[in-house]
Amino acid sequence: MVDKNNQTSYDVLVIGGGIAGEESALNLAYSGFKVLIVEKDLSVGGKMIHLSKVFPTLDCSACITTPKVSETARHPNITIYTYSEVKNITKLSEQNFSVTLVKKPTYVIESACTGCQECEEKCPIIVNDQYQWDLVARKAVYIPFSIASPRVAAIDIENCILCGLCEKVCPADAIDFTQEIEEIPINVKSVIIATGFNLFDPTVIDRYGFGKYKNVVTSMQMERQLVPTRPYNSVLRPKDGKMPDNIAYVLCTGSRDETVGNPICSQVCCMYSVKQAQLIMGALPMADVTIYYLHIRAFGKGFEEFYQQSLSMGVEAIKGKVGKITEKENGNLIVRYEDIREGKVKEAEHDLVVLSVGILSNPDVKAMFNGNSIELDDYNFVKQVDELINPAKTSIDGVFVAGTASGPMDIPDSILSAGAASSETASYIRKHQVESSK
Amino acid sequence: MNNQNLNGAPKILVFSTEKISDPAIDLAGLLKVHYPSTVYTINVPCSSAVKTKWILHAFEKGFDGVFIAADGTDCPYGESCSKLTGEIVSVTHERMKEQNIDPARLKMAAICSVCAEAFAKHVKSFTEYLSKEKNTN
Amino acid sequence: MKKKIGVYICHCGNNISDYVDVEKVKDIIAAEDGVAIAKTTMFACADSAQNEIIQDIQDNNLDGLVIASCSPKLHLFTFRNVAERAGLNPYNYVQANIREQTSWAHSDNPKGATEKAIQLVKAALAKVKHSEALALQKIPAVNTVLVIGAGVAGMRSAIELADMGSKVHLIERTHFVGGRTSQWSKLFTTSETGEEIVSRLYYSVLEHDNITLYMGTEVVSNSGSVGNFEVELKKTPRYIDPDCKIEDDTEFENKLQKAIDICPVEVIDEFNFGLTKRKAIYKNFKSEFPECPAIDAANCTKCGDCEKVCDGIKLDQKEEYTTIKVGAIQLCTGFDPYEPKDGEFGYNEIDNVITLQQFKRLIELCPDKLIHKDKEIRNIAYIYCVGSRQVDGDNKYCSRYCCTSAIFTAIHVKDKYKNINNFHLNRGIRTYGKQEILYHQSSSQGDIYLQSFADSPPVVGKNGNTTSIIINDILTADKEIEVEADLVVLVTGMIPRKDNSIGNILKVPYGRDNFFNEIHPKLKPVETVIDGVFISGACQAPLNITETSKSTLSAASKANSLLKSGEIELEPTIAQVKSDICNWCDKCTLACPYDAISKIEHKGKQVAAIIEAKCKGCGMCLPVCPENAIDLIGFSDVEIETMIEALIE
Repeated sequence: MVDKNNQTSYDVLVIGGGIAGEESALNLAYSGFKVLIVEKDLSVGGKMIHLSKVFPTLDCSACITTPKVSETARHPNITIYTYSEVKNITKLSEQNFSVTLVKKPTYVIESACTGCQECEEKCPIIVNDQYQWDLVARKAVYIPFSIASPRVAAIDIENCILCGLCEKVCPADAIDFTQEIEEIPINVKSVIIATGFNLFDPTVIDRYGFGKYKNVVTSMQMERQLVPTRPYNSVLRPKDGKMPDNIAYVLCTGSRDETVGNPICSQVCCMYSVKQAQLIMGALPMADVTIYYLHIRAFGKGFEEFYQQSLSMGVEAIKGKVGKITEKENGNLIVRYEDIREGKVKEAEHDLVVLSVGILSNPDVKAMFNGNSIELDDYNFVKQVDELINPAKTSIDGVFVAGTASGPMDIPDSILSAGAASSETASYIRKHQVESSK
Repeated sequence: MNNQNLNGAPKILVFSTEKISDPAIDLAGLLKVHYPSTVYTINVPCSSAVKTKWILHAFEKGFDGVFIAADGTDCPYGESCSKLTGEIVSVTHERMKEQNIDPARLKMAAICSVCAEAFAKHVKSFTEYLSKEKNTN
Repeated sequence: MKKKIGVYICHCGNNISDYVDVEKVKDIIAAEDGVAIAKTTMFACADSAQNEIIQDIQDNNLDGLVIASCSPKLHLFTFRNVAERAGLNPYNYVQANIREQTSWAHSDNPKGATEKAIQLVKAALAKVKHSEALALQKIPAVNTVLVIGAGVAGMRSAIELADMGSKVHLIERTHFVGGRTSQWSKLFTTSETGEEIVSRLYYSVLEHDNITLYMGTEVVSNSGSVGNFEVELKKTPRYIDPDCKIEDDTEFENKLQKAIDICPVEVIDEFNFGLTKRKAIYKNFKSEFPECPAIDAANCTKCGDCEKVCDGIKLDQKEEYTTIKVGAIQLCTGFDPYEPKDGEFGYNEIDNVITLQQFKRLIELCPDKLIHKDKEIRNIAYIYCVGSRQVDGDNKYCSRYCCTSAIFTAIHVKDKYKNINNFHLNRGIRTYGKQEILYHQSSSQGDIYLQSFADSPPVVGKNGNTTSIIINDILTADKEIEVEADLVVLVTGMIPRKDNSIGNILKVPYGRDNFFNEIHPKLKPVETVIDGVFISGACQAPLNITETSKSTLSAASKANSLLKSGEIELEPTIAQVKSDICNWCDKCTLACPYDAISKIEHKGKQVAAIIEAKCKGCGMCLPVCPENAIDLIGFSDVEIETMIEALIE
């Protein structure tokens, strides 16, 4: 979080250090603009850095994210504040926004920490690891995950008992319990909102039993079991650690569903489920995978071919709506569904059920702007006011939107949308520079 | 294999690639995934840049094995990488046969940038193979 | 060879020194040839350590620097910067990775780790002894972009590039701008019309001093490389005096109308997908841009009738050739709609079977009542995935936009005319994202959806005077259902442009679906393997208009940042040919993915030469050379071989 130049004014504030934020920041930085990225989490990289392999090319997500992350971290025109938030964005005039930056304390001096993990070893507190979607545990002082950037420790003060062991063992004297929340006023010429999305919380759909039945997991939990740095080094079902051999995917969990208030399609769940199915077949060659779907949305470049490939690998796709999931004594699950092709309600037994959860808007955006002045669309995504021709334009001139902050999209689309945001931002700044120099 | 017995342990030269396989080897260290300390790495931009001459030089100077940690399909320079790296290996295998070097002493595998486990597995089993060969010869 | 090398072994707190005996490493290295200074340091990356190293370099006139610490991925640039600040060429710095690849990897074996660290530092030392001082090369680049195709993608990009300060040559093969979008009326999601979008963009293009628009123009050849392409353009005449402006001259406009009326040549009107005919002198619709009609050279018989009634027509205009110099090229050449084969779902055999694109034009041509072949249309059946997701044909891909487009059109038709019934015979509706709402809307206004799988497509047949379609509908438990339709609309997808020869001229590769291919869908989504040549819009894959704008703006952003500074920096680590040894055999050019090797004369023989601006330093040309005539700077034989020797010592 060290401000390379100790500056308080930047050309562009990028809110969010996920793939969309990084892509826009890099484009702008290479064009000579000074960019500030503010990331609320401990590491940049967003959701993408946690994924396994990505469709339809099956290259590993980390292989694509980590080079971008280090390019961003290294770029002389980019300053990154992690574990920080923004508030009070106020447009004073064209090219003149005032913003308050809120730096939260990690109780570790970032510039001093070498990431040696000595503190982690000594810390006596064990809690759920949110970066592994609670599949495993971490300490109260911890490095978020192995490919985090910055790869430094942070203290989770909520759980810390202030025993001071970390402070004692740290060879770099990097622990600092005196840190406090810091508010820094800054000025920027333009803003890019790249705040990403939230995942649907399936506890809302009671009849699927998530949270009640241990062997009902979310697609993100499955994703973590499939990454190269996966916690169990295999795919295991949570209840008894047994390797599953008959896995079900329930698509449209929380998407296209008026009853949970989200009528739109999340655009990525079909494809990531198909991808996970392919990866599972690689990891557990004997396992059967069944996908319960309404419509398979394999629309992007190479997607349909990828879907067909998974069918030829033996993935079973059933056009059917899942109504209810119940648990048997042995932890297996009974999936009750309407088989649309046969027009019948049926039941099937699976030993692991994956809920393909959808993409929801990130509601944090609105409160960042003074007077809630940014307009949202019907689904609480940032509204694109000139979608066809200026897809990054928002209701405030000089504020642009990149990636899933404006709606569900896959990674290639997010990257293109970030490209659009960066060029619209560059034009905005240049246009007003030309005007003011006239 | 006994790691402490360095004299007996076969030495392996790894050609890794700057953007793809070397990060995986780094990650192995980061995750404390151990492999024999007699595995040495030289970095090149792309696995299809490794000259046969270099590989033969390594054997001549005393390396027991050479392992090309190839980019595979992740290569940032293009799709032809896998094919070209494959050709380097087959050309070198021919040259090795001519010089009475066991072609199995040159191995190649694609190592993606987070394939830390895969890398360790490869060099471990390669070490095992080479020490068996060493002992029988 | 260097003789005064400084070597620093980092403890990295305890990270290295817990497993590697750093003092022992230092002592052994200190005794090596060429080592002037050997030290250990707690944190080499710490400011104080950096300053100490700089001081040492300056005080002792060191000519090489080795730091044994963490992975170069973390701190190569940090320490290169240290070298530079001390006045040492940054390429005379080499890093030995004794943390990730030594102390951590062998934390189970400290003795082995120490031995390995010694060998690695020796290897780094060997490399630095032979390293060359290198400078970043800079070549001048023209901040001018050639944008090919003046549809939405091309015009949008041209405007953005001009806004960002680049000069733009925007060329269009036909005589009118707007591409496919000008053929569509209301558009998803904003309900603007294609005409409105095109005129917004066109006026914006005209406003810009930085954009030169060329109509009837295409690329005939291309040479040079990134930063400095030389592109030859061929301009087909419009056969209208460019000084005659239709905008403010009604008399001229009337004369032109007379010329159109008098023209004896009638051809199929491609703008309306063959639903109508037009003359050889034509304009597709009233507010089409540029506003002046054009004469289509391929069909005009040069009878001269038009010249007699309109003096602004100049049939003696000739083709013109010009060469322009540009720094980058952006391809925005769009798509063609799939043309069904004769008999495919009754197309060209049953007279009320048309394509979605024809249908959209038909709606434009029918203001009050929807009439096709003199019959008022009430029941419309849409058959989806025609030419896409083919089981037997070559088009395996999904065309992405057609589901939404068909549904949006169906809603529009129901809105515009009375008593319309829509039947959607689909293979699974793909209204992804927010487009889902349209699917909802159409269902709730009474559209009927029937679905079949790929293996049992609907069958279109003639039953006396009526056209009917039979489908095994899986939504009603596979029942056979017959739909009688006044009009059958084949929802045809996108295919690559039939004339895609521009790809061959620019050497842009095609993907397996025959659209132009990017390097990588996530890392380099608008870049091609040819540096400085970008692709965007539907020439790359089926895309809707919003997606086209995103991709074209991304490409604009990349092109602008490439050229903005007026020069392009090239990494100095590129290949080098030893001309004396080379006996031109062509193997290296075949191996090079970047077209970066040319044939030149050298001492009376032909040899290979590296085009510095194109070489990326991958080294693929090295091993294929039968004479070992190519080296990669930074990875020369002597560097690699002395490293090997140092590792085995």
